[in-house]
Amino acid sequence: MEIIDGFLKAIYGIYESSGLMTLNWQNYIMIAVSIFLLYLAIKKQYEPLLLLPIAFGMLLVNLYPGIMEPPATQLIQMNGANDPAAAGHATQQINGVWFYENPKYGGLLYYLYQGVKLGIYPPLIFLGIGCMTDFGPLISNPKSLILGAAAQIGIFVTFTGAIFLGFSEAQSGAIAIIGGADGPTAIFVTTKLAPELLGSIAIAAYSYMALVPIIQPPIMKALTTKKERSVVMEQLRPVSKLEKIIFPIIVVILISIFLPDAAPLVGMLMLGNLFKESGVVDRIAKAAQNELMNIITIFLGVTVGGTAKGSTFLTFDTIKIIVLGLIAFSMGTAFGLLFGKLMYKLTKGKVNPLIGSAGVSAVPMAARVSQRVGQQENPGNFLLMHAMGPNVAGVIGSAVAAGVLLNVIPH
Amino acid sequence: MLQTSAGALMGVAAEMNLYDKSISAAKVILTGFVVVFSMLFLLIIVIKVYSTAIAGFQRAADKRSKKKDRVMERVSAERGAHIIKKPAYVTPLSVEEGIPDEVVAVIAAAVAASFPSGSKPAIKSIKKAGGGRSAWANAGVLDNTRPF
Repeated sequence: MEIIDGFLKAIYGIYESSGLMTLNWQNYIMIAVSIFLLYLAIKKQYEPLLLLPIAFGMLLVNLYPGIMEPPATQLIQMNGANDPAAAGHATQQINGVWFYENPKYGGLLYYLYQGVKLGIYPPLIFLGIGCMTDFGPLISNPKSLILGAAAQIGIFVTFTGAIFLGFSEAQSGAIAIIGGADGPTAIFVTTKLAPELLGSIAIAAYSYMALVPIIQPPIMKALTTKKERSVVMEQLRPVSKLEKIIFPIIVVILISIFLPDAAPLVGMLMLGNLFKESGVVDRIAKAAQNELMNIITIFLGVTVGGTAKGSTFLTFDTIKIIVLGLIAFSMGTAFGLLFGKLMYKLTKGKVNPLIGSAGVSAVPMAARVSQRVGQQENPGNFLLMHAMGPNVAGVIGSAVAAGVLLNVIPH
Repeated sequence: MLQTSAGALMGVAAEMNLYDKSISAAKVILTGFVVVFSMLFLLIIVIKVYSTAIAGFQRAADKRSKKKDRVMERVSAERGAHIIKKPAYVTPLSVEEGIPDEVVAVIAAAVAASFPSGSKPAIKSIKKAGGGRSAWANAGVLDNTRPF
């Protein structure tokens, strides 16, 4: 009888601590959302390298919220001042009763999340991106930096929308940076300005990056004429190795002096690029763009997903953030195209305005979209290398925009 | 904890009136526009300047080496040296049997395109890549990596 009683108590204890008792309706909705995102990542292959870990982190935290809990201290009442159970623990007396402190460790994702919270992972991702980026098209056509700057206007315009929708200045800045279409930059800025919105902003940013081939073409077609889309651009001049080596050094000096808030992102991006272009540290360059980048991507993805707990994520603010993010992204594309059109006029038809949409920094997806839309008008037109210029300029531009937001907005 | 800070920040937003919001928005738009464009314009100028400088140095270096060659030729001609200049030895291109001429032409074009103009890259041989590991090597790799 005692055995049966013990067995039933144990089963009841397990049931009480199980998700069936502890999870709420928001958690179940988020579980369904995460499974949908897993479907998009696996079946549709929308940015699977990030969407898959993000979706799985979301699934984990909504199944077991404790995995993201911070460490805490539990006070346990002592049986007298010399209770042996309290040996090795700090003790304290409250209203004449003795307690000992029992530390409760945080969940796994909480500790991994510190790399996001302290702004460590995004610059490390930039290090890997730098190792993989060829700034040659930008160096051979530096005017494409204007398109990279134009595509950032969406960020600042969206800031206005967010502030009038009731978000604070800091939150508006974090929401607006979605328009840069740069996941690590969005995370970096959000952790500094509005960490409470990290889950919604990161998911919106990565979703829009994944949806670049769907969001951009209608805007590109609406803002350009058939004649403009058919422009075949002249071949870019070859860039010498020396120019490529000097470029990251000059960029990091200029940006870090004038805008120190952008230094962690731009500094790591340029360090990675110097690893690549110098050709003397191949081993390090390979490690940064493969092993390091992959490890950080796993930690970043899972922990960002881990911030999307049902009770904090399923709010009206999240819907507003998703809508504002879409506006920011679309406006970035539109401003890039409009400046592309301006360059088309000024150069008397030598620049194809479609490369302007690549000024948003979703590398290389946005450049590929410019190439694809251009080829729909003229199958013999190869815009990819021309679009890579504004595309990598967008990475620098969004890091500069991030520096401006961090500098201007009190936090 | 997160909810509390979110609430606090929303409280700050609620405290801002329409005028404050307009001022804040105008300040961010103006600063952002000016700083981002100025930084990137500055970069354009710097890139242009150093690209031009490097191109100038390279042109000067080419000119110097050509001048040196001409002087050497003149000196040897004046001395009447009966040195017969050896023709540059060019390794004949070895192409593995079964690779069509069109493929050779495409590879040569791709190699030439990947080098800066003026340089003269040479292809020494074109071979088909090996067909991967043998069945025995595959079995060995599988045996060692299966537990992972």
